[in-house]
Amino acid sequence: MQRKVNDVGGLAGLTINREEHEQTFFEKRVDAMLMLLISPKVEAFSVDSLRRAIEESTTDDYSKRGYYDKWLYAIRQLLVEKGILSDEEIEQRVSLIKHRKR
Amino acid sequence: MTDFQANTTQPIFKVGDRIVVKSGPPEQHCRTPSYLRGISGSVVEIMGQYQNPSQLAFHQTYVSKIWLYRVHFEQVDIWPTYSGPNGDTVEADIYEHWLIPA
Amino acid sequence: MSHPDHPDHDHDHEENAQEPAEDLRNLEQAIRELLDEKGVVTSAQISQQIDLQDSRTPSLGAKVVAKAWVNAEFKRELLSKPLETINHFFNLSISTPLELVVLENTPDVHNIVVCTLCSCYPRMLLGIPPAWYKSTDYRSRVVIEPRVVLAEFGTQISDKTEVRVLDSTADIRYIVLPMRPLGTDGLTEQQLEGLVTRDAMIGTALPYFTE
Repeated sequence: MQRKVNDVGGLAGLTINREEHEQTFFEKRVDAMLMLLISPKVEAFSVDSLRRAIEESTTDDYSKRGYYDKWLYAIRQLLVEKGILSDEEIEQRVSLIKHRKR
Repeated sequence: MTDFQANTTQPIFKVGDRIVVKSGPPEQHCRTPSYLRGISGSVVEIMGQYQNPSQLAFHQTYVSKIWLYRVHFEQVDIWPTYSGPNGDTVEADIYEHWLIPA
Repeated sequence: MSHPDHPDHDHDHEENAQEPAEDLRNLEQAIRELLDEKGVVTSAQISQQIDLQDSRTPSLGAKVVAKAWVNAEFKRELLSKPLETINHFFNLSISTPLELVVLENTPDVHNIVVCTLCSCYPRMLLGIPPAWYKSTDYRSRVVIEPRVVLAEFGTQISDKTEVRVLDSTADIRYIVLPMRPLGTDGLTEQQLEGLVTRDAMIGTALPYFTE
């Protein structure tokens, strides 16, 4: 039976990397954005749907993407699923941001 | 605000009951880890009724509530080659629809 | 040993110590700006939330443990109604749709917490989880070889003590109440607080005291 990418209990693993770092500003912003989006005041989507969106990623993406990167991609997917933002406007804004930086 | 149907039925299992975790198939957004499927254990606590995470994960408007149990498993029952002492255990919170009487 | 699903994968570096690649920064900025413009989540709310999260550290968890060590009534109430008791004794109003359960370590049982399916963690008492707790190496290994993982953390548990792994698979969050170390009878509650590490409240470490 095929396991989902996140269902890792009992699989082989390596020595645990115990290095710690303070949360970067990017991580803090993504964390805060998620907490607000799932809060009762906003309720953009459920935390369960966030987990589900992450579970839908490929094994490759799941292992290579950073923890908060996974969150950001999932947040994007869910905001589009719920019709809160569209892929087009996100793409347009990303282009604009790149253009501003030139 | 997601509506939910209050599940007015009583829990099927009581503390001390021997159960087996169903083998599958996994639902979309499954919160029963693979490593526990098909394993026998016992109910140690009835945790209450919770909204079905598989429904929450897909933005469903009507979400049913399901009884949740904390279940106790012996490591030697989970892993054929468990390397620790016989008394070691795992506990996990499992939803009622994933449990059958042993 | 290499991970069967990712043979080319060395250690699990799921969190980067540096800021991420430009594409991700741009994406985050784009989403943030759009959400602010549409009034879904404002920049002010994000700032406030960051401040709130920064203020959450394991020190609240440590205070809870120290008080349980010195106050038998608190401990009894804590084990029976954790969040209600914490709110009452510490004059807080932590509200969450999640349940909190306190797992008491005894000479017979040593508890260790994991979320094999994602990274559920008692953030309301401990703040943000460490990267290792969220790593696939910890999540995959601690359920099958907890004592080997404990040894990696420098923690030995007697064979006569049951090592119990708690897999947080649903909406309940688990925190370990470690045993009070020997030789601490003369310490104040504040001094005891200083002995309680975050790892002791996850279950990968034991608090200790040396004169």
